[in-house]
Amino acid sequence: MSTTAIELRSVHKNFGATEIIRGVDLAIEQAKIHAIIGPNGAGKSTLFNLMTGLHPLTAGSIHLKGREISSQAPYDIARAGLARSFQVTNIFANMSVFENIRCGMMWDRGYKYSFWRFAGRQRDLTENCEAILQQTGLTSRRNVPAGLLSYSDQRALEIAITLASGADVILLDEPTAGMSRSETTQAVDLIRAVSDNKTLVIVEHDMGVVFDLADTISVLVYGEIIASGAPEEIRGDPKVREAYLGAEVD
Amino acid sequence: MEVFLFSMFNGVLYGMLLFMLASGLTLIFSLMGVLNFAHASFFMLGAYFAYQISKYVGFWPALVFAPLLVGVVGAAVERYGLRPVHRFGHVAELLFTFGLAFVMEEVIQMIWGKVPVPYDVPAALNFAAFTWRGLDYSAYRLFMLVVSVGIFVALFLFIAKTRVGLMIQAALSHPQMVQSLGHDVPTIFMWTFGFGCALAGIAGVIGGNVLGTEPAMAITLGPIVFVVIVIGGLGSLWGALIAALFIGIMDNMAISYDIALFPIFAMFGVEREAEGIMRDLVDLTTGGIAPVLPYLLLVLMLIFRPRGLFGTRDV
Amino acid sequence: MAGILQRWGVWIAAAAVILVMPVFVTSGFYITMLNQMGVLIIFALAYNMLLGQGGMLSFGHAVYFGLAGYTVAHYLNGIGEETLPYLPVSLIPIMGGAVGLFFGVLIGFVSTRRAGTTFAMISLGFAEMVTALTLVVVTFFNGEEGIQTDRWVGPEPLGITFGSDVQVYYLIGAWCLIATAAMYALTRTPFGRMCNAVRDNPERVQFIGYSTHRIRWLAFSLSSFFAGLAGALHAVNVEHVGFETVGLAQSGLVLFMVWIGGAGIFMGPILGAILITLLNSNLSDFTDAWYLYLGLLFMTVVMFARNGLAGLIVMHEPIWKIKIGLFQKMIVPYALGIGSTLLAVAGAIGIIELAYFMSTRTTAETITHLYWVEIDAAGPVPWIASAAALAAGFAACTRTYPIMAASYNGAIAEVKALVAS
Repeated sequence: MSTTAIELRSVHKNFGATEIIRGVDLAIEQAKIHAIIGPNGAGKSTLFNLMTGLHPLTAGSIHLKGREISSQAPYDIARAGLARSFQVTNIFANMSVFENIRCGMMWDRGYKYSFWRFAGRQRDLTENCEAILQQTGLTSRRNVPAGLLSYSDQRALEIAITLASGADVILLDEPTAGMSRSETTQAVDLIRAVSDNKTLVIVEHDMGVVFDLADTISVLVYGEIIASGAPEEIRGDPKVREAYLGAEVD
Repeated sequence: MEVFLFSMFNGVLYGMLLFMLASGLTLIFSLMGVLNFAHASFFMLGAYFAYQISKYVGFWPALVFAPLLVGVVGAAVERYGLRPVHRFGHVAELLFTFGLAFVMEEVIQMIWGKVPVPYDVPAALNFAAFTWRGLDYSAYRLFMLVVSVGIFVALFLFIAKTRVGLMIQAALSHPQMVQSLGHDVPTIFMWTFGFGCALAGIAGVIGGNVLGTEPAMAITLGPIVFVVIVIGGLGSLWGALIAALFIGIMDNMAISYDIALFPIFAMFGVEREAEGIMRDLVDLTTGGIAPVLPYLLLVLMLIFRPRGLFGTRDV
Repeated sequence: MAGILQRWGVWIAAAAVILVMPVFVTSGFYITMLNQMGVLIIFALAYNMLLGQGGMLSFGHAVYFGLAGYTVAHYLNGIGEETLPYLPVSLIPIMGGAVGLFFGVLIGFVSTRRAGTTFAMISLGFAEMVTALTLVVVTFFNGEEGIQTDRWVGPEPLGITFGSDVQVYYLIGAWCLIATAAMYALTRTPFGRMCNAVRDNPERVQFIGYSTHRIRWLAFSLSSFFAGLAGALHAVNVEHVGFETVGLAQSGLVLFMVWIGGAGIFMGPILGAILITLLNSNLSDFTDAWYLYLGLLFMTVVMFARNGLAGLIVMHEPIWKIKIGLFQKMIVPYALGIGSTLLAVAGAIGIIELAYFMSTRTTAETITHLYWVEIDAAGPVPWIASAAALAAGFAACTRTYPIMAASYNGAIAEVKALVAS
């Protein structure tokens, strides 16, 4: 059995005449936390969108646990066991926190499009939702409409919905974006707590968070991976320092 | 041959009228994201205003003032009706214009009654411009063609040569850019809406006396204008022109030639002596299905090519 | 026992009301009206599965209502002529539902790939196409005359012939209750929850494993089933199906009902169907301007009350649930607001009625009645009085509405404080 969770093979993406991703090869190991960093406009979010099927590839291929998922529909990729969170909070604002999480869970638990049984009567759903509420610290906000949550709670819910799907490969797009110092610490604890036996891919701007969490770091500059390795290696890599880190990590 | 030429001529004429409505509608849609359900109601308003004005001062002043008045009404509707609804999203805006179309029809009935008003072709143009192989061709129809082609040329020059036109052009191809143009966006919206309505108003002034000025004229024409902009491709003026001409010509040809469709159905095994529902198929002619054709085209287009003929983006 | 009542209380009450209604309402006019109301409640709820639950604005849902009506009318005629097998009339609505479902599945597949404006335009296209077809496919639609039918066909189990309107009333009542319960239940299923999710955030739905197209398609199909069921009951009720049942006017009417009642709330469409049918039956003989009033009411709701009349009621729910006494302080501000609204509305109605009278009168007579007062519509007095009422009412509204809003906000703040402590 391969220990690679996601593999990208010479992935290219053009928008019109503009090349955004210019041949990315990347292997992400199972049960590890892998961070992707890079300056603004390097194509980090685009890479996520390609992996989750929001945009089709121009060339190359993407494999999830050995199975090709290139250019499949987002829902097919999600069903195959890859979940993602969004940089801009993307929740169901009119539903309660509990309902948000339950929606995230239904497909995986086999409820699919069923219209002949009540969602509320399914004990397995309810119990699992409570567990995720607990895990993400949202239990006290269970019945609050998601749109009324504070920003950091919405970010936590964003992660909770992603977790609910039961996927073992999870992509987090800037999970601490816009958070204060103390909120960031909480978020990092949360991510660490949920990372057991799961593969996490994180795009993040906060270098503290990245070097704190990641097992492996890849640096994306202008649509190309210029370096990949353990945090210490990346910290010492002259190419990275030149292209991106500058004085920040000294 | 003469049937072909005359139905071609009438088809082009009808197509140009459709284009005058469709161009305004597609401008409004591209710029504001609002599908103006009441667009044909402004066309109707143009015809009624022209009737009322020409009753007192004649057709020529009406040709100028009726569209202006319609434009002002349109701008006022945008300012005091549509703008407050904007924050509720596009569905609410669409609902607002749907309600508006309904209310405008009722108000027109209230003011001018339920029966058609006698809005006639001006006497100065009410003669046969030429007679060819025994068929008369009215001067007013020629005049309509001249006016509509004139409007069309003016519109293209306006968009290609003026500053505002270039801005509109940018907005047509990149609607999300409108917000970043740095201009007073609400005011631009208001005048765009008014301008689109005024275009529909002109079509009403010159078309009302031929098509008949009555309260149902908006609801008969409105859906066909939607068909035109979808088939042409939203945001594309060229597309709107081609689609309008195509539908205008198709409609006229289907009716004047009135070809029996039986041979087509026969290929699928329908027999001439068929009974029941098949009986209808035996007697079908192109004239009979002419009212269905535009919608059939619309549905096929949306299934196979949602961006329309010349559209750059999906509907 | 208390648990059962709490869970089923509303349904038991609704059943009881339906059951005893004919005891109190005996006039034929009102029974006819109630029958129509029942049909339209089902249709409005079906429509709201699209608009309110699924976020799809349709201008052509009457297509499924009407096509089911036509089919059922033909079938009843077939039973009467003994060319088609017998089916109890009480089960005919299921057949209508099946017809609706069939066309819903077919047309839904191509129209539900997108929501929003695209969906609205496709629905209009199909509506116009079917309307145009009524004049082409004459055997089925019979042009402008439509199809006449007779519900009194076949055997008469237990003496039920549906000959009388009261028997039809119970038929519609029973189906109305069943359909309402079924549609309510649907909102509580995984499918129902995902429907709301697609309405609120279609993008995210794809990333939790669901195809938005599939959900919309399913919603469209089920909604068409119930629209077909309502259409069949309509055919049984009035024993005639005309081309207007598939047309834009019918689709527009159900849209008005749903939006005025409140699309975001399950009870909204029911409220809307009841209100509009009541007004339609009672006002359309009374004033020519009924449709104008309906349109203006609709536009007002679109502009100012997003969740319709039901939304205005539900807004106050926390107050009566937590501390009903708070309403005491709200009586005066609300009376002021409603009073000034009524004054403005009265003025507007005066102007509209006068204008209608002047434009539709067939004789030179200018004396008419406005608000039970004899007036001369040609003179300036009634016009000035109406305009003054409108202007004064409008001016008063601009002053009283903030007071009304403040009293509401105050009460809600107090409720919040009570809940927090």
